[in-house]
Amino acid sequence: MQQTLNLHDREELIAPLYQFDRKFWTTLAVLIVIITPGMLLYVRQLVLGLGVTDLNRPVFWGAYLVNFIFLIGISMAGTVISATLQLLKVNWRRPITRIAESLTVFGLMTAGLQIIMDMGRPDRLAFTLIYGRLQAPLLWDIASLTLYLLTAVFALYLQLIPDIALLRDTAPDTAPAWRKKLYSILSLGWTGAKEQWRRLEKAITVVSVFIIPIGISLHTVTSWLFSTTVQPGWKSTILGPYFVVGAIFSGIGLLFIATTFARQYNKHLKEYITEIFYTNLGWIFIVMSAVWFYFTLNETLVVVTEQETLEFPVMASKLFGQFAPAFWGMNILMIAATWILVAPKFVSDKPTRNPLLKTITGLGATAIAIIIFFLLWLRLPALAAPAIQTGLLIAFVLFLIFALLGITKWMKTRLITSTVIASAFVLFGMWLERWNILMPTLTHARLIPYTTYLPTVTEIAITISTFGILTLMFVVFYKFFPSISIWEVEEGRALENKSGG
Amino acid sequence: MNFPLEQPLFQFFYWLVNTPGVGAAVVGLLVGTAVTIFALTLRWIASAKSAEQESYPYPPQH
Repeated sequence: MQQTLNLHDREELIAPLYQFDRKFWTTLAVLIVIITPGMLLYVRQLVLGLGVTDLNRPVFWGAYLVNFIFLIGISMAGTVISATLQLLKVNWRRPITRIAESLTVFGLMTAGLQIIMDMGRPDRLAFTLIYGRLQAPLLWDIASLTLYLLTAVFALYLQLIPDIALLRDTAPDTAPAWRKKLYSILSLGWTGAKEQWRRLEKAITVVSVFIIPIGISLHTVTSWLFSTTVQPGWKSTILGPYFVVGAIFSGIGLLFIATTFARQYNKHLKEYITEIFYTNLGWIFIVMSAVWFYFTLNETLVVVTEQETLEFPVMASKLFGQFAPAFWGMNILMIAATWILVAPKFVSDKPTRNPLLKTITGLGATAIAIIIFFLLWLRLPALAAPAIQTGLLIAFVLFLIFALLGITKWMKTRLITSTVIASAFVLFGMWLERWNILMPTLTHARLIPYTTYLPTVTEIAITISTFGILTLMFVVFYKFFPSISIWEVEEGRALENKSGG
Repeated sequence: MNFPLEQPLFQFFYWLVNTPGVGAAVVGLLVGTAVTIFALTLRWIASAKSAEQESYPYPPQH
């Protein structure tokens, strides 16, 4: 059946799956080097117990839980975005749906790992179910996560079936027998008959409808782990939607980074994943950024103005206490990301004589802003006077503005690079946001003396390992399956030809 | 005024949300139902019989 498929597509998208070149092995080796220290330290944690971390009462959730919420967030967006675009019949979605859906599956798997890492005795994992009572939000989270993971795997698999059949039919003679057998089993005897397509399309549509509320429920339930307690800083009615908005925001960021990584890894993908994807999804990214700022302002302003006895110390620790670097760092990253996305839309392509819009001005201002930031951070005794500190803060803000203005013109001509930089800022900012939700409350818990928390080497190494594992899954998966939905791209081309586009 | 927990219905709800293990049963039911539906859907797609020999690389209605 697939003889009608574009031979060019087959060459560009299928041939690389059988080429285990030096680039692949180098990537694999680098990832293993990144993952190994964390895994070794996890074994040490398993033997010696959670005492090797800084986790203790009342800070019983630390970096692992921050990673868990962050990963749940990025995984929520992939399939939800893909399903929404699928239902709206958006044509530019076609080359990115598979990457989006696989990010969901891998993100959920690595998120699940964090729970095991966080348990001093992972052999007691089954106790959460055996002794789980229906009133516990933790149990709802397990239910939502399991259901979302199963549905996401199913959605990914449904969309893969026609492409697996293509791999089965076009496998080169040199391909290993086990690989041919694997494609043969997974293709479920797909022949591309009219009735099979009809049923597959129906199933994809139904799953797309159901997966959106399941995805939203997962992140809402995760927020209920916090908001159903009486801890200051957590008992908020908008924490659910705030989590969902943050999840979609960070998920789009990861989608941009993953697709760009795939484009760089396989240069042929540049023909398929074009700038139109960055432009169109970029607009959704900008909208999500505005909604995220709206929720952050709500969460901050209400607590600051009411100055309630238990709530305010948590907020104060974020505004000017031990969590101020994380809180203001998050805000600066998000403002910079929004600027990178929005500002280039307001400047022209033509050369300018305005010195503020010169790249050299931007680079110089960035360097000065970084120096001032470190001066502020280090709190040198010579610069400790309040007037000097205030002056430094004002200078930092001014040079940050100059830096952002200076790089605007440069970003205008580099849509993909600037989108990736903005996405990296958003991802780091969102990790800090999760940190700012968890840690200030846990260190300022109700009715318990205040304490501090700093992740140990074990927690930092395991966090780095986690992101290494996520990337490893991505790299290995796309060595066995095409990273672009070939049949969807072909369908898009046929539609374009039909409409004369 | 009657206390709600004197009613058998509320006693049942209390048992439902407070009994260890019931949560696991609910999670099991959810997961079991989902897996069954997914397996049946795959079987339904794979079993599609068509009289025509023609096959298509993408949905043919276009």
